[in-house]
Amino acid sequence: MILSIENLHASYGGSLILQGVDLSVRRGEIKALMGRNGMGKTTLLKAVMGLVPPRSGRIVFDGRPIHGMDTHRIAACGIGYVPQGREVFDDFTVMENLRLGVLRNPRGRRDIPPEIFDYFPILDKRRHQRAGSFSGGEQQMLAIARALAARPRLLLLDEPSEGIQPSIVDQIAATLKAISARTGLTILVVEQNVDMILELAATCAFMEGGRVVQACDVDELRADESIMACHMSV
Amino acid sequence: MWDIGIQLLHSLNYILVLVLVAMGLVIIFGLMRVINMAHGEFFLLGAYTVVLTSQRGLGFWPGLVLAPVIVGLVGMVIEWAVIRHLYHRLLDSILATWGISIAIKQLIIIFFGPAGLMIKPPLPQSVHILGLVYPVYRLFIMGVSVAVIALTFYLFQRTDFGLGARAVIANRDMAAALGINTRRMNRVTFTFGSALAGLAGAVMAPLMSCDPQMGLGFFIPAFLSILVGGAGALSGVLVGGAVVGGGDSLISFLFSPVTAQIVVFSLAIVLIRIRPQGLVGGRRHE
Repeated sequence: MILSIENLHASYGGSLILQGVDLSVRRGEIKALMGRNGMGKTTLLKAVMGLVPPRSGRIVFDGRPIHGMDTHRIAACGIGYVPQGREVFDDFTVMENLRLGVLRNPRGRRDIPPEIFDYFPILDKRRHQRAGSFSGGEQQMLAIARALAARPRLLLLDEPSEGIQPSIVDQIAATLKAISARTGLTILVVEQNVDMILELAATCAFMEGGRVVQACDVDELRADESIMACHMSV
Repeated sequence: MWDIGIQLLHSLNYILVLVLVAMGLVIIFGLMRVINMAHGEFFLLGAYTVVLTSQRGLGFWPGLVLAPVIVGLVGMVIEWAVIRHLYHRLLDSILATWGISIAIKQLIIIFFGPAGLMIKPPLPQSVHILGLVYPVYRLFIMGVSVAVIALTFYLFQRTDFGLGARAVIANRDMAAALGINTRRMNRVTFTFGSALAGLAGAVMAPLMSCDPQMGLGFFIPAFLSILVGGAGALSGVLVGGAVVGGGDSLISFLFSPVTAQIVVFSLAIVLIRIRPQGLVGGRRHE
């Protein structure tokens, strides 16, 4: 297991959002985290990154407990984070955004890996353009590229398809899948878009009321539509 | 005509030093959302560093070099001991830094007394420029200020450190998630901002009577400069400093210092009403 979360409790804005989460992610796997709005998926990713302090429970990354660590140290352990709403730096250029991904490296090892531009050729053409002038899909690619620039072993993605046109969603899903297959990158993706999950992920887990209530393979989702209906329909 | 020429140079001189003070204040505010009420006293400490070296017979120049170092260290200690516990608590940080400012002033009174102290002018000569006779020391101040302002801009706009600092200013959580140590960034920037105020105090010391209240005379216009220019971008300080500093010194010369204060304050209020984000408005992520 590259990531295991045990009995995690965390509160956000005064209320207890995570109420005993147990979740494991295997090395090299692409796992989807699903569930209705307000079930704690975003808070769980924030808790892994240390942006929401856990109240109790354990988070172990690659054999090392990371709960209670400072966010920048968690990132340095090898976890990349693409938050909901992308949060690229609007006033910065593409290159500045990407450089921020490698800024924590010692001086002299701050080159942006060239394959980043192979994954997302559009960024190569627009190196010196302001990120704020990009479409939602382009910003999403930039946010993913920024996280990948640091060569993480685990990538956390929060709703990458939100507000993005379907053709770009397909393209991003295909790119991520290819990267994971080639480099062994592990991905934990929070997503509501079922098509993207079916395309991208191998396994999935459903959250409800601040806990993981069911986990299964994505193939089982295809075979049994009732699973999805049970957890996702309103 | 001659008087106007001299006065314009004096105004430029004042504006540049004001920008030094305001730049430290705005960097600290931008990064930490802390309004440092003790910033004027960092200026004061810079000036008294020069007073001390002059009294001890070392003269002005060692004091000028020591001032930013000593005041930077004082800033670092204050950040560690007080400020870092008060992030996200704007009112508490205002009260705490106000308390620090009073404590620094009283310490200065204990060690140097309440009276104004003068130091020997380090460069008493004058030169002829553009048909005017102007003190060399004031030209020196302008040169140092321009160099340090340019260096600060370079640091924040062109280096990796500056990129990280601007990222923390724009979106602290995201910067941390990218691996930037935001606490260290706070400490380094607070130290740097304090050092700028210390340097400004040191260069101004020979032109002023150094007394324990001198910091306020720079803190208030520096604060106004930020309100007028905007706290979003570093360049706002240049515009704000030019409007407030230039307006204040020219109107003081043409009319009276009291008129100048009334006009500058009124202008600031009107500008803030029309453009709350400042003349050079920058956006930030909340």
